[in-house]
Amino acid sequence: MNTVSETTTDTSLLDAMTKVANARDTRALTHLFDHYAPRIRAFCLAAQPGANLMADDIAQEVMIRIWNKAHLYNPATASLNTWIFTIARNARIDYMRKNGRYQSDIDPEEFWSEMADENADPFREAQQQRDEERIREGLRQLPNEQQQVLSKVYLEGKSHSEASEELGLPLGTVKSRIRLALSKLSVIIKR
Amino acid sequence: MLSCHPTLDTLTDYSAGALPLAHALAVSVHLDQCTQCREQVRRLNMVGAELFATHSETTSQEHMAKLKDNVMAAIANSQAQAESPEEREGFMHIPQSLRRFIPKGFNGLNWIHLTPSFKLATLCNEMGGAQIALSRVKPGARLPSHRHTGNEITVVLKGAFSDEDGLYREGDFICRDHHDKHQPRVTKDAECICLIVLDSPIEFTGCLTRLLNPIMRHFHPSNALNGG
Repeated sequence: MNTVSETTTDTSLLDAMTKVANARDTRALTHLFDHYAPRIRAFCLAAQPGANLMADDIAQEVMIRIWNKAHLYNPATASLNTWIFTIARNARIDYMRKNGRYQSDIDPEEFWSEMADENADPFREAQQQRDEERIREGLRQLPNEQQQVLSKVYLEGKSHSEASEELGLPLGTVKSRIRLALSKLSVIIKR
Repeated sequence: MLSCHPTLDTLTDYSAGALPLAHALAVSVHLDQCTQCREQVRRLNMVGAELFATHSETTSQEHMAKLKDNVMAAIANSQAQAESPEEREGFMHIPQSLRRFIPKGFNGLNWIHLTPSFKLATLCNEMGGAQIALSRVKPGARLPSHRHTGNEITVVLKGAFSDEDGLYREGDFICRDHHDKHQPRVTKDAECICLIVLDSPIEFTGCLTRLLNPIMRHFHPSNALNGG
């Protein structure tokens, strides 16, 4: 897996998304494909190393969902990365559900999608960008051991207890590393 | 103001997609009511999105070109689905994520009367996994004393109940494990409807209500005869 240095806040992607939503512009979708399909494949291969067929299927499925749901995308509620991450995550769960691991009547797409947020306002978009930049910068500075547990959970889709088994660490250690990482990224809301 | 929320660990697993689906469904029902946890999940999603955005994997250009062609062919054949926002009326107290299972409202469900004041309706079962059901208890009624044989998540959809540890209101998310034995009581002002996710069947501990245990086991997906 390659780590790409250049990231996001690419306005050309947001432009492409707007064109897909408003003008049903297929060329704009190919632009999104070029950027996101390799990321979706990497995301799937992280969970199931070597499962290239699954990665291809899910990458295609996600791009089709982006096309079909484009009118639902609201930049004030979520950044494009976050929106596409949630679609890819749901598609990955759905694929695994249909292929045995999580056989169930529950369709993750029905509830795992981002909730409509009545409070979304234009100021939120700027705040969101600042939050994202902070998280991006914070991730870079995390110690390896904390990056490792975050990757286990977010990229590989492992639960805290699965991560603890695979890393050979006590569950408490995994939990505290994740909490520590999240607190450094300032994403924890104080109750 | 809600008093009971999923833990940060649970919300993190939810955001990462690492939670069993039945538990994720219960969390989403809570999120429907809780702005605070919604905001927490929104921020957790951003962490996932950053990790997602910084890892990429390409194969040969020809291969990616072929995938792209497949996508373009698929969208050419698909009609844009203009999903209209669903009507909320008639669905009071039924969170979005449960509507598919409760299409005709609470009264349209297939309720099983376990005692004169306590009914249960199964919404769906996961194969070999959890039972997802609604419990409905009359105002002021006491639930038969019971013990949990596995993890149980309860989310209050309507009304309120209390037990030894406190009072639970609409939207509250309560997670209990197999060590807990309790006797909940519904408040007198209204009936109480809860979503319950049971990893394994509840066991009643009263001398008469014990007789219900075979029924509880029968409806749980861990019972092979029930066929999921």
